Amino acid sequence: MTAAVASRTSAGSSSRYAALGLLARLALRRSRIYYGVWVLALVATLAATVAAYERVVPPGASAELTMKALGGNPTMRAMLGPPFDLMTPGGFTMWRVGTFAAAALAWMAAFGVIRATRAEEEDGRLELLRAGAVGRRAPLAAGVLVAVGACLAVGLLSAASLARTAPPAGSALLLGLGIAAVGVVGAGVGAVTAQVSESARGARGLASAGLGAAYLVRAMADGSAESSALRPLAWASPLEWAALARPYAGDRWIVLLLPLLLAVGLVALAFRLEAVRDHGAGLRQSGRGPAVGSARLASAAGLAARLHRGSILGWTAGIVVFALAMGSLSDAFGTMMKDLPELAEMFRRMGGGAADLREAFYTAMLGLVVIVLAMLGVQTLGRLHREEERGHAELLLSTATTRQAFALSHLVPALVVPTVLLVVCGGLLGLNEAIGSGSSAPVWQVAGAALVLAPGIWVVVGVAMLLHGWVPRLLGVAWGLVGWSLFVAWIGEILGWPEWLISLTPFAALPALPAEPLTWTPVIVTTVLAALLCVGGLVGYRRRDLG
Amino acid sequence: MAPTPPIDIHGLRKTFGSTVALDGLDLVVEPGQIHGFLGPNGSGKSTTIRILLGLLRADSGTVHLLGGDPWADAPALHRRLAYVPGDVSLWPGLTGGEAIDLLGRARGGIDKARRDALLERFDLDPTKKGRTYSKGNRQKVALVAALASDVELLLLDEPTSGLDPLMERQFSEVVREGRHEGLSVLLSSHILSEVEALCDHVSIIKAGRVVESGTLAQLRHLTRTQVTADLASTPPAELASLPGVHDLHVDGTRLTCQVEDSGLAGLLARLSSLGVQALTSSPPTLEELFLRHYDESDR
Repeated sequence: MTAAVASRTSAGSSSRYAALGLLARLALRRSRIYYGVWVLALVATLAATVAAYERVVPPGASAELTMKALGGNPTMRAMLGPPFDLMTPGGFTMWRVGTFAAAALAWMAAFGVIRATRAEEEDGRLELLRAGAVGRRAPLAAGVLVAVGACLAVGLLSAASLARTAPPAGSALLLGLGIAAVGVVGAGVGAVTAQVSESARGARGLASAGLGAAYLVRAMADGSAESSALRPLAWASPLEWAALARPYAGDRWIVLLLPLLLAVGLVALAFRLEAVRDHGAGLRQSGRGPAVGSARLASAAGLAARLHRGSILGWTAGIVVFALAMGSLSDAFGTMMKDLPELAEMFRRMGGGAADLREAFYTAMLGLVVIVLAMLGVQTLGRLHREEERGHAELLLSTATTRQAFALSHLVPALVVPTVLLVVCGGLLGLNEAIGSGSSAPVWQVAGAALVLAPGIWVVVGVAMLLHGWVPRLLGVAWGLVGWSLFVAWIGEILGWPEWLISLTPFAALPALPAEPLTWTPVIVTTVLAALLCVGGLVGYRRRDLG
Repeated sequence: MAPTPPIDIHGLRKTFGSTVALDGLDLVVEPGQIHGFLGPNGSGKSTTIRILLGLLRADSGTVHLLGGDPWADAPALHRRLAYVPGDVSLWPGLTGGEAIDLLGRARGGIDKARRDALLERFDLDPTKKGRTYSKGNRQKVALVAALASDVELLLLDEPTSGLDPLMERQFSEVVREGRHEGLSVLLSSHILSEVEALCDHVSIIKAGRVVESGTLAQLRHLTRTQVTADLASTPPAELASLPGVHDLHVDGTRLTCQVEDSGLAGLLARLSSLGVQALTSSPPTLEELFLRHYDESDR
């Protein structure tokens, strides 16, 4: 409290923000590649979608049919958001990638703020800066400022590109600023979670949980039947606000007040929290723990189990909630749209999958979840990298622990945990249908369909292991592989890229059950490839210098 | 047959890109020795220790650790040694006690009674989380984990750089006690007083090679004794020409000079004939030895 009082009486606003410009330049310098890649990818995605419009929706298509086919498909509504006007390139783009881009931007901003604030604080670098003539609020303000700048860059560049290719310019600007505003909410979320948790990992987990919940709420609302009481809940999800501003379909500028007010509120809250906590601490004082290690904490494997515990619990909770919520949507499918067989072709072009809506739904959900779980795999294996960087590996390897045992202590969970969660997700997705039909078959079918995709995760983890074993500084390439897979899965199909380019992901060759029939060859080939990558990585890890 | 030296290094080379970290290093630590490994930052001390730990692979030269190959036999050898890094990084979410037990068990076992006694001696609270310890306390965690195991060899890389003087003394005592049990120690440091107080053998490393190695007594022979004397009258100028006497300064009736061991007897005989009223002589410090090596080439 004394600190807060002192700062109020002694310092004006100028000194509280002293050196803000310097810190903002530093934050920009340290994350220019991070933001640069995000900005380019998102602007390019929006521009490419506009360009693809003519091909996806042929000029002759009846407006009514298109709307019915796309807007009425609950899978696509749940994944992408509500369609308002699909008959213009701009309106189509907002629906097809707009909400996704807004969510991605929110994640970028949240992680970017955490990166510039809590991560720097945790590593002790911020302490050095704060010892200089740096205002109390300057570091957080600088992190938020740079993130907001990146959001605006995405919004304005997209608007500029859409103004030419998808007029009118006013709607293009609303689309761009809407997405940017949702991104700024993400910056606020990052600013708050960075105060709450004393580790960057924890802050990222909290921010992901918050944003994930927002995405789930809007997916539930959009995916439920038109008459459902859940539909209006879409307004409760900040990630939906860019779509609800209806660019190209009425242009409701006033809706943008929602994200702006929320963002201001979140940032103000973050500054308040920052003022009442100690440097280096979170909101909760770090408690004491056991004076003696439990019997399980006796080896590299025991340590890894302990280190991954929090992440595994968080991901499990997230996957279970997601699968149950999404599975509950499958009720409506049996009756909807069954009598419109002519729409199958349209679905296929949209990346929606098979003719049977429910099967298409399962396939689409699993195709998305498997890539998200591949991220968990890379993240888990990345711990091996962090342990080495931070000098923990050196401590452990100075004991009787072999390099192999140490590497396996992280590689095994990186392979097993996402696989188990993938199968669990599949089973839970089918649970609702199983309850409705009184047969457990859907649970096993969808769980099996999920398992068939698991070798894709193993290849991604294998690539990460190979990189860490031979050239650890290139570990980021594994993240690139996941990002590429997600990008291709999301819009590769509609961009009309050549088939070979689209199938250049670890997942593309695997049979997409239940929409496609089961073929064993790609499953076996992918599994063998993954095994070779893992073994190759382990061999490299046993040979190279550490630390 | 003489017992195998715990550490036996000959002609060790290690380069990182174009940087030569170790350039033909020789180092032998005999059983039961507390061997000081002296050199400034960047001279190759840590690289040597990390090669001994099997974290880095030697480019050339022979390295024997406890009779084995530190690269190929690392896990088996590590059961018989303990290591304390200079900059200890602990797992932020594990308590100090948990880290000690983990490291001890991963080494092959921990002596519970000794662990608790060491916690007491180092005044360390084992219930705090790794992220809340100060540098010195993180170092204590690593020291307790190392010293609580029953090992033959300790590899200590500037182990007391974060400790206060009281804890440093505790550390010295614990190491000396271990010596009675036949423990061998390689202690890298740039703190000369610590090495002087604790070690019986010293190697000085410079730019990747050992430039001086021997017992403290042997090394002191290489340098000069500082003599200060108050005489009854002004010292005659011819004292400066006595064999083995250097840097002679006269301030009134007080004389200071540096004397080689061979010239000591002659000087003392002359001084006593001149009526010496007060005399102090101090042995050469390690610091002088060290500085001699590091000054000569830099000039």
